Amino acid sequence: MKEYLEGSRAVAQAVKLCKPGVISAYPITPQTHIVEELAQMVSNGELKSQFVNVESEHSAASVVLGGVAAGVRSFTATSSQGLFYMGEVIFNIAGMRLPLVLTCANRAISAPINIWNDQQDSLSLRDAGWIQLYAENVQEAVDFHILGYRLSEDHSVMLPVMVCMDGFILTHGMETVDMPQDAEVDKFLPAYKPLYKLDPTDPISMGLLADPDYYMETRFAIEDTMKDVLGFLPKVSREFNACFGRDYKDCLIEEYLVKDADKVIVAMGSVCGTIKETIDELRKKGKKIGLLKIISFRPFPYQAVYEALKNTKQVAVLDKAVSLGAYAPLAVEIKAAFFGKKKSPKVISSFVAGLGGRDITLSSIKEIFKKLSVKEVNLEFIDLKPELLKEEYGG
Amino acid sequence: MEDKLLFKPGHTACAGCGQAIGARLVIEAAGANTIVVNNTGCLEVFTTRFPESAWNVPWIHSLFENAAAVASGVEAALIYLGKKENTNVIAQAGDGGTADIGLQALSGMLERGHDILYVCYDNEAYMNCLSTSSLILTKDGLKKITEIKVGEEVYAFNQANHELVLKKCSGVFDNGRKEVFEIQTLHHSIKATGNHPFLVLKRNGRGRSNTLVWKAVEQLETGDRVVTLKSLTGGSPFKFPQIQKTQKGDYKVNKLNEINLPQETTPDLMKYLGIFVGDGWRRQNRGEIGFALPEGKKARKVLSALHGQIFASKMTSDKNYVYANSVNLAKFIDTLEFGSGAKSKTIPGWVFTLPCEQREAFVEGLMLADGYDHSGSKRYVSASPDLLKRMRLLLQTMNYRVGKIHTQRKVKGTHCVYRDLLHDSEYGYVCFSEKKEWNLGKYSSQYRYQDFLIDNKFFQTEEIRSIKSVGVEPTLDLRVEDEHNFIADGFVVHNTGVQRSGLTPFSANTTTSPYGPALIGNLRPKKPMPEIALAHGIPYVATCSVAFIPDIQRKVKKAISIKGPKYIQMHVPCPLGWRHGPEETIQVAKLAVETGLYPIVEFENGSLISRRQVAPKPVEEYLKTQGRFKHLLNNPEAIKAVQEIADRNISRYGLKIEEQKPT
Repeated sequence: MKEYLEGSRAVAQAVKLCKPGVISAYPITPQTHIVEELAQMVSNGELKSQFVNVESEHSAASVVLGGVAAGVRSFTATSSQGLFYMGEVIFNIAGMRLPLVLTCANRAISAPINIWNDQQDSLSLRDAGWIQLYAENVQEAVDFHILGYRLSEDHSVMLPVMVCMDGFILTHGMETVDMPQDAEVDKFLPAYKPLYKLDPTDPISMGLLADPDYYMETRFAIEDTMKDVLGFLPKVSREFNACFGRDYKDCLIEEYLVKDADKVIVAMGSVCGTIKETIDELRKKGKKIGLLKIISFRPFPYQAVYEALKNTKQVAVLDKAVSLGAYAPLAVEIKAAFFGKKKSPKVISSFVAGLGGRDITLSSIKEIFKKLSVKEVNLEFIDLKPELLKEEYGG
Repeated sequence: MEDKLLFKPGHTACAGCGQAIGARLVIEAAGANTIVVNNTGCLEVFTTRFPESAWNVPWIHSLFENAAAVASGVEAALIYLGKKENTNVIAQAGDGGTADIGLQALSGMLERGHDILYVCYDNEAYMNCLSTSSLILTKDGLKKITEIKVGEEVYAFNQANHELVLKKCSGVFDNGRKEVFEIQTLHHSIKATGNHPFLVLKRNGRGRSNTLVWKAVEQLETGDRVVTLKSLTGGSPFKFPQIQKTQKGDYKVNKLNEINLPQETTPDLMKYLGIFVGDGWRRQNRGEIGFALPEGKKARKVLSALHGQIFASKMTSDKNYVYANSVNLAKFIDTLEFGSGAKSKTIPGWVFTLPCEQREAFVEGLMLADGYDHSGSKRYVSASPDLLKRMRLLLQTMNYRVGKIHTQRKVKGTHCVYRDLLHDSEYGYVCFSEKKEWNLGKYSSQYRYQDFLIDNKFFQTEEIRSIKSVGVEPTLDLRVEDEHNFIADGFVVHNTGVQRSGLTPFSANTTTSPYGPALIGNLRPKKPMPEIALAHGIPYVATCSVAFIPDIQRKVKKAISIKGPKYIQMHVPCPLGWRHGPEETIQVAKLAVETGLYPIVEFENGSLISRRQVAPKPVEEYLKTQGRFKHLLNNPEAIKAVQEIADRNISRYGLKIEEQKPT
């Protein structure tokens, strides 16, 4: 059923369709609308969940950890500082192999405090053992929650999924969404069957101390599963496509006019929409350009990226985050995908844009295509205001 | 019966751990239909080291500070599943996990009204030791720290007169796996955890005499001078245990090389055994002792002569080897615990108890086999790391200058110590030389300034050359009566300490609130956690003590019968941190209550419904039972301040038993 909805409301509807038994969150902009909506549903009696209003994100993540450990599908959402405050619990949930879906409404990181969008928060937690899916639009955000639970709870996976959606751009934007129907979702996503849980009739201990004789294998096991997810996610995606009439293909990457392109931008999240529009415009002028959208940042689909871009001459990687003192996070992965390979783009340039909510406009994208030439550039900041770096601003 | 226990034995808590006793009482009182959520802490570490778990109820640990929040999630899930009515949820933590880092999550849990019992095991500090590879000097020689038993006498440093003394070990503690640092001086090296105290020289400036202070590894710097052992005098010959000699006429024995076996060690025998440890092997089933001593090597002649003198028997030989064929000699040598195989040869502990002259003879024998002179110093080579480590410590009991252990790798065919290597091999060596005696008559004050203990017979100070982290290892600690120190790998070390938490009592000496000339120890009284819990308006708050077992059981049962958040705080002594004997746990806990320092109270819906009344004893009786308060005992003012805390508790809760009126 098509509905014109705010992104947060649409995601709340999607979460409701997944029927989590335990929901816990702590308010933080721009995530708040999602849990406000869910709280209202619980209060209305439409959603039979335990909604736990906690005193911090650390406890929000801990509550859902406890919920899943006790055998109940659980949900939380957060942003930015909230995700960082959850940080140690985030690693803990993955280490304990507890399936969960968390919405990250991507927002910049303090200081200076800034409530607007970039992807620094979730990308900073890329090593936590979570599957990270980046949504381009509200429809994808909605769908990835449903797909995320199915993926996460599969007994061959048992890893948490973070659905990353750009704060404000997607959480507060209105969009026409094809909302899946309850019965369809129930068919695709059956009730949670825990592989292990806290149960007095069959007592187990969870979260044990692993000394050097055991710890490394626990990390290896997660890594091994991550590799399997690269094969399993496409399978789940195809089922999802068939069930809901979508076309996410393997759900690892999306190619937009890449095949015949000389120049391709690689990006993640809502900016891909802007890039597609720019491409459409420039293609009319005869420019052979394309977009490679990364959906799954963890696990990272190196092989799919390689196959997609091996014949492209020039690649620009657009990051909405930085790893200060090193190449930007997505650029590192794309360069790594081609290191030591027979075929490779001649140039892989890296651009940073849109930090702290600075708009990435059509002209920003055009500038990237313009700067993408035979000369490789790295960490080129787009739309930087040089006048602000002058002395009068203390810089 | 065994598998019905909800908290099973076999965990790795210290002897006398109050928390282990308390945790078991709580879960047994709560029953099998209970889910336990545990914060990080001693209890979690000693009960659930993968792949083992002491818990026979569903149990989960996530982090140091979030048990209350995880339990909230578990409770919410149980409500969702409709199973809350017949399932108890217990969140439990230590005092740090409750009153400090975990307070926020606890406050959230209490305020939200979850049906959870929260139990705080209050051992009044963050409890935390030497690496288990450490070798300890005891009356019976050198022993691995893992072999030391309570009651055994270990060598210690007398802090009053700087003499070497023997003191009883009063506790051995497994501290689990911890990050370990390696501290190296010119002659010594040791591995210890960051909080382990070492005895360090403190220079008090010109004209003032220097003093010795304890400093934790984390505070040590290169250049600091630490106290180490330099020589061990005394000692006596080692009497060999009797062995069952093989005789003619035994099963399948029709021929026997007769041999005289010695009763106790002599310098000659030690020299012979030194050569054996260096170059010998033993094949008991063939009754053979052999030595890899090729013709022309000096040790060959010495060995044959010694063999004749000691055992009154002869050896056979070929171009490369010398043999003594005797079942009884092989049996005898087997009892001496020298190990077998080039890589696992060792120097057994009893060698360290010998008189100096016999230790010298042993070293001479080792040197004849595997040593050589190298530009004025001696160098001993071996493929056994343990042998080298012990050789180094042995030399350190004989006032030698000893270098560190060097390792080398030689490829097959290299000519090395009179033979060509048959395989690639890795081995190490240690160098040593006679110490130059200082001319004390001439510049004695300067020398004394440089080396405080210069004319001490047993100890010296040495400069730390390096301190580095060497990863995580299992650690152990000893507690030693009176002196509270012992000699590990040649260093004088203190048994370890603990770090202050919000529930550490006033004046307690911890490693982060140490007692010193300026400060009395912990400056603040305990954070009033029960009152903080009460202020949340929750239905049940109680304190209890591991000394009063039926009281614990009653309170836990009562708490779980009440719906809503409940808070119980239990006083649980920690022998390691509080420094009392493991057998004194209950007595110490009891005294805390009897002095009024730990009020046992119970509140229902905010009103005091019960209290344990006592005939108050002076606080001194409690303080004197524990090392952490030892510094208060000749400080009447401090005792007065502690007494005031007890008096306030007594009047506040009416803890004093009313005098019986005659009827």
